[in-house]
Amino acid sequence: MVVKVRNLVKRYKELIALDHFNMEVEEGEILGLLGPNGCGKTTAINCILSLLSFDKGEVEVFGRKMTPDAYDIKQKIGLVPQEVSVFENLTVRENVDYFCGLYVDDKHLRRRYVDEAIEFVGLKDYVKFYPKKLSGGLKRRLNIACGIAHKPKLIFLDEPTVAVDAQSRNFILNGIKELNKEGSTIIYTTHYLEEAEMLCKRIVIMDNGKDLVSGSKEELKAMITTSEKVVVSFTSISDEELSEMKGLPHVIDIERDGEEYIIKFESGINNLTKLLEFIKEKELIYTKLHSQLPTLNDVFLELTGKELRD
Amino acid sequence: MTVYRYFIKIALRNKWTIIAYTIIFFILSIINSSNSTQGEASFIETKLDIGIVDNSNSQLSNGLKEYLEDKNNIVEVGPGEEAIREQIFLEIADAIIVIPEDFEERVINKEKALEVYRDDRRAESIQIQNQINKFLLFANATYEVGKFDLEGMKAALDEKIHVQLIKEGHKGTGEGIGEWFRYYFNFTGYVIMAIYIAVLGLVMADFTDPNIKNRRMISSKRFLDFNREIYLGQLSVASVITLIFILGCVLIKGKYIGVINFHIYVINTLALSFAILCLTYLINNVTRSKFVINGISTVLSLGTSFISGVMVPQELLGDRVLTIAKFFPTYYFVRINDMGPISLLDVRFEILMQILFGIAFLLMGLYFSKTTQRA
Repeated sequence: MVVKVRNLVKRYKELIALDHFNMEVEEGEILGLLGPNGCGKTTAINCILSLLSFDKGEVEVFGRKMTPDAYDIKQKIGLVPQEVSVFENLTVRENVDYFCGLYVDDKHLRRRYVDEAIEFVGLKDYVKFYPKKLSGGLKRRLNIACGIAHKPKLIFLDEPTVAVDAQSRNFILNGIKELNKEGSTIIYTTHYLEEAEMLCKRIVIMDNGKDLVSGSKEELKAMITTSEKVVVSFTSISDEELSEMKGLPHVIDIERDGEEYIIKFESGINNLTKLLEFIKEKELIYTKLHSQLPTLNDVFLELTGKELRD
Repeated sequence: MTVYRYFIKIALRNKWTIIAYTIIFFILSIINSSNSTQGEASFIETKLDIGIVDNSNSQLSNGLKEYLEDKNNIVEVGPGEEAIREQIFLEIADAIIVIPEDFEERVINKEKALEVYRDDRRAESIQIQNQINKFLLFANATYEVGKFDLEGMKAALDEKIHVQLIKEGHKGTGEGIGEWFRYYFNFTGYVIMAIYIAVLGLVMADFTDPNIKNRRMISSKRFLDFNREIYLGQLSVASVITLIFILGCVLIKGKYIGVINFHIYVINTLALSFAILCLTYLINNVTRSKFVINGISTVLSLGTSFISGVMVPQELLGDRVLTIAKFFPTYYFVRINDMGPISLLDVRFEILMQILFGIAFLLMGLYFSKTTQRA
């Protein structure tokens, strides 16, 4: 186990930022820490890294208790903070070199690491640029380069794609996969579901400072009662027909979203076939019909009663 | 030494602050240098070229003529107003006085007693008007007791006002050179404070930015190693800045450093540099805002310099102002510079005070540093 967090509690006077938070990260995996803004993701990371003290709980990194002076553990850790944290008065290359220099003393080795990090984030053409001359996406890449240049074994990426254009986002996500392939364990916090679905082997869902559930995408989806959704647009349908539809086997609920009806099924066999038979029997006319598997948002919605981006 | 290297690099990115202050300072010092060699420790009244047309030829007009002749050079005057104006225009005379026939009556009646044609292009020509006014004032004063007393007037007019110069420069150093050193080093104190707070403050604001600090805190760089490199960086930058101004003095007035107590000026500047460096440390632990640091740099350097006697001699400052100034090291720094030829023993109290201020600032800075860390 690379990271083990048990019953972590962090309070700011009356506000409980972390409420008996638990998390485990295995070597070589990408773990997604998923939750809405303000749920405590960054606080959790800061406590794990000993940047913040906490009121209760235990944090182990690489099998040892994490403390502010655990420099040998810190040597293996890289952080890409949520805010772009670089010197405005240093160029791209100088910034990467400075932060790499906090870990690597050897000049020649550092030069190689810095070159590789700049190459990795695609900033080779911008080495002499000052951060203020870079676009938002390029600044984010620089932020990443500064966090990974020393080749850490464990990387914390705190919402690295916030306010980034689509091109840079794809670049960053592919880069994270690449880092993982090279052997780094990654803890990735985000409130973007599609990023977590695309990247992470395991996901911890957080809300109000608590870890609600954790597991693989499939395991999480299996935890909720909705196993399938069918979206249909009818030209017309009566209330009577709708209530008859609700009586079909395995139908949990029917929601209306504009012209569309979202029919939710619990786990069952041939749900779609049975629905189509009902439509045929009632001679209902539909303009659109498709089936969807539940998303992480459905998981979050069912667990918390609110949308992830609320 | 990555941190040290980048500290120096970022400090150099603020080089324009250092260059601007340094250039302005040296230009002023060089200008002052050329003035100081021509400086006068005493003064005499300038004699003007004047003409007098006496249409009165009375006892009083003769007295006036005698008085003006004594203080000015007399030139011949052509006949008529046109000739008078021509002489003024051609700068033959700085002023021409026409005394009317009824001069005495006019003086008694306190009317306009005479006509004065002055060369307005020459500011000093106003002096003649002052001399006439003074004479007429005395004449009226004596007439109040019965008649014009020309003997008494002459005695009163001959009374000299004794002017004592507060600063005459350090005697023995020749041509006010001591005054120049005093001026140079007093202003060095001001410039050092302004540059230290601005440059070191701005660099430290970058390093103590919470996000950048977090990155450093999760790194494997030991806290003590980091601080050691930061302090070394501050000391290096501060030393270079101080050295620029000490060497600048040697470059401008190097030939005089043997005749003044140059070593005392240097020791004094080093003591102040230490105190200001510690003050900068304190400020950096109180605020991280670049805007505030820039403000403090301007206000504190100018404010303390003014109340400590950098711009205006301490003798001319009020007691209350000087009492406040005693709470800043600049006051003791200026006191030493103002002392003139002295030995190191004479200034030990002032040097000690500056060092104590430095230690106090350092301790306060450490306190705030600990408080910030705990928060």
